Parts: sequence; C-alpha cells; structure tokens
Amino acid sequence: MTTMARALPRRDVFALWDRLKMPLFYGVLILWTIISIFPFWVSVVYSLKPVANSYDPPYLWPVPFTLENYRTVLTQFELFPRWVLNSAVVAITVMVIRTLFCAMGGYAFARLRFPGKDLLFTLTLFTMMVPGQVTLIPQFLIIGPGVVRNLTIGGVKIPTGFGLLNNLGALILPGIVDAFGLFMMTQFYKSIPSELEEAALVDGLGRFGIFFRIVLPISQTALLTLALFTFQGTWNAFMWPLIVLRSPEKFTLPIGLQWFKGEYYTLYSIVLAGSIFNSLPIILIFFLFQRYFIRSVAVTGLKEA
Amino acid sequence: MFSPAMRRKLSEWLTAYIFLAPWFFILFVFIIFSIGWAFYLSFTDYNLFSPPKWVGLTQYIRVLRDRDFLQYALPNTLKYVAVVVPTQTVISLIIAFALDQNIRFRRFFRTAFYVPSVTSSVVISLIFIWLFSKVGIINQIFGLKIDWLNSPTYALPTIMMVNIWSTIGTMMLIFLAALQDIPVALYEAAQIDGANRLQILRYVTIPALRPAIFFVVTMGVIGCFQVFDQIYVMTAGGPLGATTTMAYLIYKWAFGSTNIQMGRASAVAFILSLMILVVVLIQRRIIEREE
Amino acid sequence: MYRKAFALMALVVVAGLVLTACAPQTVTVTVPVKETVQVPVEKTVVVPAERVTVRLSGWAANPQETALLESLLYRFSVENPDIIVKYEPITGDYWQAIKTLVGAGEEPDIYYMDIFQFPFFAKEGVLLPLDDLMASTGTSRDVFIPDLINAFTYEGKTYGIPKDFNTLALFYNKDLFDQAGLAYPTDNWTWDDLKAAAQKLSQPDKNIYGLGVPADPGRFPIFVFQNGGRIMTEDFSDTLLDSPEVVEAARFYTGFYFDKSGALPSDVGEGWQGTAFGKGNFAMVYEGGWLIPYLNQQFPNLKYGAVLPPKGPKGYGNLIFTVAYVISKNSKNPEAAWKVIEFITNEASQTTVLESGFALPSRAALINHPYFQSHPESATIFRGATGATPFMWGLYGSDVNEKMGQALERIYLKGQDPEASFRQAAQELREILGK
Repeated sequence: MTTMARALPRRDVFALWDRLKMPLFYGVLILWTIISIFPFWVSVVYSLKPVANSYDPPYLWPVPFTLENYRTVLTQFELFPRWVLNSAVVAITVMVIRTLFCAMGGYAFARLRFPGKDLLFTLTLFTMMVPGQVTLIPQFLIIGPGVVRNLTIGGVKIPTGFGLLNNLGALILPGIVDAFGLFMMTQFYKSIPSELEEAALVDGLGRFGIFFRIVLPISQTALLTLALFTFQGTWNAFMWPLIVLRSPEKFTLPIGLQWFKGEYYTLYSIVLAGSIFNSLPIILIFFLFQRYFIRSVAVTGLKEA
Repeated sequence: MFSPAMRRKLSEWLTAYIFLAPWFFILFVFIIFSIGWAFYLSFTDYNLFSPPKWVGLTQYIRVLRDRDFLQYALPNTLKYVAVVVPTQTVISLIIAFALDQNIRFRRFFRTAFYVPSVTSSVVISLIFIWLFSKVGIINQIFGLKIDWLNSPTYALPTIMMVNIWSTIGTMMLIFLAALQDIPVALYEAAQIDGANRLQILRYVTIPALRPAIFFVVTMGVIGCFQVFDQIYVMTAGGPLGATTTMAYLIYKWAFGSTNIQMGRASAVAFILSLMILVVVLIQRRIIEREE
Repeated sequence: MYRKAFALMALVVVAGLVLTACAPQTVTVTVPVKETVQVPVEKTVVVPAERVTVRLSGWAANPQETALLESLLYRFSVENPDIIVKYEPITGDYWQAIKTLVGAGEEPDIYYMDIFQFPFFAKEGVLLPLDDLMASTGTSRDVFIPDLINAFTYEGKTYGIPKDFNTLALFYNKDLFDQAGLAYPTDNWTWDDLKAAAQKLSQPDKNIYGLGVPADPGRFPIFVFQNGGRIMTEDFSDTLLDSPEVVEAARFYTGFYFDKSGALPSDVGEGWQGTAFGKGNFAMVYEGGWLIPYLNQQFPNLKYGAVLPPKGPKGYGNLIFTVAYVISKNSKNPEAAWKVIEFITNEASQTTVLESGFALPSRAALINHPYFQSHPESATIFRGATGATPFMWGLYGSDVNEKMGQALERIYLKGQDPEASFRQAAQELREILGK
C-alpha cells in the first residue's frame, strides 16, 4: 500500500520528464560538443604556437601566437598551389560523377526489377569486404602498365592496362562509382515512398524522366550527404595516390603535406598546421551543403489517405 | 511481337542495366579481376619479387594454426566488432534523434558533431596519445595512473574509444538524412490515432529507419572487421599483440616484413571477407524478418 | 540556382577530364625551309644528343634535406646535360610503395635501400650489381667506410653505394648534470658509471629519470654487443637471443626501469624518448645523429652533449644505421643511373651534405673535415662507427625485431624474468626461422 502511494502517477512522470528533458538534452549535447571539438581545438592551438614553444604550457590557448607554421606550410614548397589545384580537380570531378552514378545505380537497385538483382547487390556488398591491401597491386597493374606486358596477338599490340600512371586520371577513373555510394543510395531510395513516381509512371513519363525530374530533386539531402562523403574521401585519399603518382607536380595535397613528416623525427607544429589546412575545404563544403539539408518538399507535401 | 506487359518488363530491365552501366564497368574492369587475382594468390607462396608458387590450401592451414592469428588477431577483431558496432550505431542514432528535434542551435551542434570526422588521422593519433598518456588529461580527470595505449589490457579499448569517437559524426549525418525524409504525414496519422511518444518511436520512426539502420550497421561491421589505420599509427599492433587485428596481420605479412608473405596475407583477407559476409547476411535476415 | 551550380560543376568536370587527358608532348616538328634564292647556303643544324631520363626515388626527408638533394641534382644536370634526373620522392609509407612498384615492375632507376631491408632485395635479385659500373668510372670500394660498403655487399658483389649513416651516442642533459653535481660523461665511461649517474640523476617525483630505456630493438642490441654477445649467428640462420650474454644485458637494461633510475617514454607521456630528453624528463638517452637537428629546432635552449656509448663488461658496442643508393635490375639506363649516383656520392657532394648538418658522409676521408671540430656531437656519431655492428638481422629481420621488442615488453609490462622472456622469444623466432 505504501509503495503504491509513493509511486508517482504516470502523468506526473511525463511532466517531470518534460521539465528535465530540455536541460538534460542540452547538457548532453554540450558535453558531446566539447568531446568532439576538443582534439581539433588542441591541434589548432598547437599549430598557432612557434615550434620551439610547442611543449610549453598553456596547451589550450596559443600563447605565444604565431602564424609562422601556416606560412611555412603555404610557402615552403613552390608546388603547393598546384597540389591544391590537383586535389580540387580530382575531388570535385569524382564528387559530381560519383554522386550521379551512385544515385542512378541505387535507384535501379531500389525500384527496378531485373534478373540477377539480388546476386548483383550481394556482390556489390562483397566488394567492400575484401581488404584493399591485397587488391592494391592488381589494381595498380590495371590502371598502369597492364596485367600482361606487351601482349601482341597477330601483330597487334593489345593494351591490358590504362597506362594512366602519374596522371590524375588514375585517381578519377576508378572512382566514378563505388559500392559504398551505391549501397547508401539504394537504402535511401528504399525508404522513401514511391507514390510520386508511380503517379508519374501512370501519367506516361518514362523512367529516365522520372529519375531526373522527380527522384533526384526528392533525394536532395541524401545526394548532398553522399557528395560530402565522396568529396571528403577523395580529398583525403592517400594510399592509392601515393603509388600511382610520381612527379611532385602531380601530387595531391595530402601527399604533398606528408613531405613535412621526417624520417626519424617530425616537427608536429608544422604537420598539424598542414593537416588543419587540408581539412578546410571539407569544412567549407560541409557549410555550403548544410543549408540544403532540409526536409524534401515532396515528403512534406504528401497527403496520405 | 512482344506484349505490352513484356515490353514494359524488358524496358525496365534495359533501364536498370543502363543505370548500372558505370558500376558494371568498374566492377568488371577493376574489381573482379583484382579480387580474383588476390584469391588466386591465397593459394600460392608469393613474395612479390619472384613468381607465385602454387601451394594449394597450405596458406589457409598455416593461418588457421598461426599463434598471432589465433591468440590475438581473431579474438581482438571479434571483440572489436562486438563492442564498436552496437555502440557507434546506438550513440549516433540517439544524437540524430536529439538533433531532429526542434532545438535551438541545431546547425551549430550538427557542425560540432561532425568535426571528429573532419579531423585528420594525424591529429587524432597525436592528440589521443597525448590525452591517454600516463600523465594525460583522462588520467587526471578520473584520478587514474593507467598508461592506456601501452597496457595489454587497456590498449584495445582505447582504440575502440578513439574510433567510436571519430565515426559517430558520419553515422549521425546518415541517420539525420534518413530521419528528415520520414513523411510528416505518418507522424500526424499516428498522433491522430492516439499514440504516445514512445509508441510513435517504436512503430513509426524505427521501422521507417530500417533501411538506414541496415546501412549503418553493415558499413559498421565492414569497417570494424577491417580496422587498421589507427592501430598502425598509434600502437603498431602492440603491446604484445593486444591491438593486433586481422587487417593488421594482412598489412604485416603483405608489406610490413622484411620477408614478404603475400599469399598468406591474401588467405587472411579472404577468411576475413567470408566472416564479414556471414555476419552481414545474418544481420540482414534479422532486420528484414522484423518487417 | 541549381542550373548555375550544375553548370559550374560541369565545367570543373570537363576541366578535370581535359587536364588528365593532356600529357606533355615532346614532339619536335621540323618545318621545311623554302629557299627561293639560288645562292648555295650552308646550313648547320645542331642535332641535340639523345637525352636520357633517370628516375630517382626515396623517402621524403624534411624540406631542407630535400632542397639539399635537389641542389646536388641540379649541379649534376649542369655537368651532364644529356641526363635528365626526375626526382620522385615517396612521401608516405616508403616500403609499401617501393615493394609494390618493384613487384609491378614499375620501380624507379635509383632508389634508397636501408640496410635492414637489403637482404631480401639482394636475395631476390632485383638490384643491379655495381662493380662493373664502378670500374668504368674508377670508383673504388675503398673510399667508403668499410662497414658501410660491406653491408651492401652480397655474395661478393656490391649492390649499393652508402649515402650516409648513423650510430647511437649517449646524449646527456648538461643542466641536469650540473644540478646533481656530477661530472659530464666521457668516452671512457663504463656500465658502472652509467648506472651510478642514472641513479643520482633520477628524481621520479619530479618526473625526471636518469636514462631512457624503451623496449626498442633499435637500442637494446648495443648492450648485448657491449656484453660480448650477438643477436643472431653470423649467417643469420639461428638466433642467440636466449644466450646468457643477451639475458645479462637485458637484466642490466631493464634494471634501470625497475629501480626507477630509468623510465619508458610513455611514463612521462611521450611516444619517443627524444622528445622526453628535449623536455628535460630524461637526463640521458641513447639516440642517433637525427636527434641533433631535432633538438636544434624543437628545443633550441637545451644544453646537451654526446659521448660514445659506455663500454660494457666486454668492451665497446654500437649499431650502424645506413642507407644506400641502389639501381634497379630493370633499369633501362644503368650507365646514366650510375653517373648520377657517382656524382651525388663523390667527395664534393658528400662534403656539402656534411656541412648542412643533416647526415654523416660515408667516405672515410671526410673524417678529417673541420666540420667535426665545430660539431663535437656529430664527430661522436661519426666515430661511433668504429667497432659497430650494422643494424640488420638477415632475411627475417623484422621478425627478430618483433620478438626482441616483445621480450622487453614482457619484462616491463608483465614483470617476466629476463631469462624466461628471452627464451620464449628465441623459441618463437626459431619456429619462424625453421619454416
């Protein structure tokens, strides 16, 4: 009897929750914000202090302050602007092409029926499961010198590779579509209702028209998210460009920035300044796209029966 | 010649193949050959500089008997997946829910939470080594004296924490995108039916998120089974094998030794791929059965 | 709004595709000259000699060292206009990249070879023997420090020209020694002197320790040598890690940690003892010549000195770390490649390298260069090569390092007895060697 009297009636539990909810929410959010930003902030501070003072306190505020490390990063190598340009060209090109192709492929997986679909989808997933270390060399051969050198059949030289070594094309071509993006867009298209498309089908609009005029605009958020991920992944790619690019003037920015890392020791102030600089374009793209992370119009406008 | 229904079906097939043409190109030109080659290598003794020698299943047997594999790589990898995948999925889902509410400064929080994903791995490894050092901040806050990354007991959990921290932002964004596309009408209908908040969550939101959850969990499983980068930079598989994972063994045997064992590395790679495939297929069953 | 963005993107895509499609063309077009005057004119056309391209690759050292190498290459190109040298530094994981390139047959003509990795490359026959090329320019093996050129000799043939080397020295913090009232170390120090000093210098409550003793297979072996022992047998077919000399050396080395006269870098929150030394946490460390430019830039106010590693019960011992230029077996222009190597390792070039302070030359004659008078620490490192052992453990070198490191880690982290720990390491290593 006493326990029953002590227990709060359900209504009051909800009321208490309602009052505590907001401060609790904000508290957790702020805590996680600090945890998320702290490492980045510390590295910014580190990069704004002179090399000789890196290990002196304070660690959370740049005193003494200097922009010398950034100046070193930007001016030490003549080729620096070229590296930025290379990275930008590759990242933007891949971002645009891959987002489009993955959206098309994802739509096919999600909406269309065709023979071999399930098998193909599982195969697509499987390609992500094989670690890249063991496929590095064959992919290198295909993009470059060829799987079989000097293959001649009947006097005709048959190329078994693309010969794109030391060429930015080696970074772009294998990236025009990838399993991750396909998978993401497939799942996304599976989760949005298909009424609009079906209505358009009935109206006689062809599949291509439906895709470009209806589906793409609806999937704006997902497309931008995929574009952001693609840009980031391509911009930061390291292992593959390291092997296929040779001349310093073809380097992308991450490869060039590694130059500041020494064989036996590293002056981290400069390396950190470089890597923060390298993150700036991604942060920029994130801000640019954020404005468009809105609820898609079609979804809010639908009137369910 | 063809009935209209048949023509529609064929046109659907054709559209699908055209839409997937770029993927077919990449798949057949780059990927299938590379995977096939690596698979072939797993049956050979290959040191990269001399031609591969066929040895049948020897490499697989060697791997399954190898001490480093059985004592460290396999259990560490399984532990890692079992802990990290649920944790990162649940936390990023909760955060996405929180940010989907009508709270103030939503855009600020969303940007802040994405910063870990933008932070480069150089920064991450440097700062976390510093944070988790014997005289670092974590020890100071909690009054401990643990040398986290050099302790055979705590090194792997530390790597887990670092990776959870750095991947939550990405998964949060995916969940946010998925949440934003749940039709408002569904919520309205549920509310009209008298459902309370918990029921809406359980019967409207989560089911609508199912494809996104499948995506995040699958990518999480794939990524966690292949965890390598942070370990390579922060602990080099140590101390005493505590952070040696299957992917780390692959690297060590493929490139990291003075005595290259590419065939054995390939064998580990395919054992790993098989394990991932099994796990993903199982979880697909689970998620789809609930439909 | 979308249109503009789309157009911009399309433009960039096109630009990208165009840029990649355009490869530099080096086609010369001859334009016929039409002569309308009947006056016979003699025209001399100078045909440029065949220009040969040589690719040179290595890991990317810091920008200053890169500038140094590029200046040497520039000097070379002035004297040899018919050879174009393409410098292609690898800025990331060098060994993964170079092994991939060699495996795919796309390696550069000249690249860096570390002594530690050399046995595998030599055995597999992917390197070009240099003796004939050396004879063609009259370069003798004798001008190089014997230990270095011998390190890159396999089955009697020379495969690499050492470009520089490093040894370990005992670096000490002058201020901490002054505070403790101790005399600075000398080249005649012994293990006892080292131990006594470390004990007096340690103040654990202030986070100051006498000696850094990391579980590092790149440091520990010198104690084995100083105790008269070896890590591997001469032909590298078996290990001597479980020999009493090694165990005693391990007991001495790890002893510093257990009586708090020494510590691991992670004990003071650092990953590398070089940083701990610079911060003043370690009074003494065993490090190589790379510490010198590091300290000069990162800790310019530190007062330090360097002496040869103290002698053990059986005398002096040290490690030699060295890197050589090698030529690929598949090089299409081995003579040109050799000319490049010969130039950048000749006395003039090596003198330039020495004076820059970044590396020690491999030519024995340069021991008398005045640079060493004004840079005693570098002189110590240079002298360290006499009686030292190359850091190379044969084909299974990385496994040896791994087992050695793990043996030390077990002693530190699990308190295992050195004898048991090294016996385990030797056992595990023999399993690998036997396979």
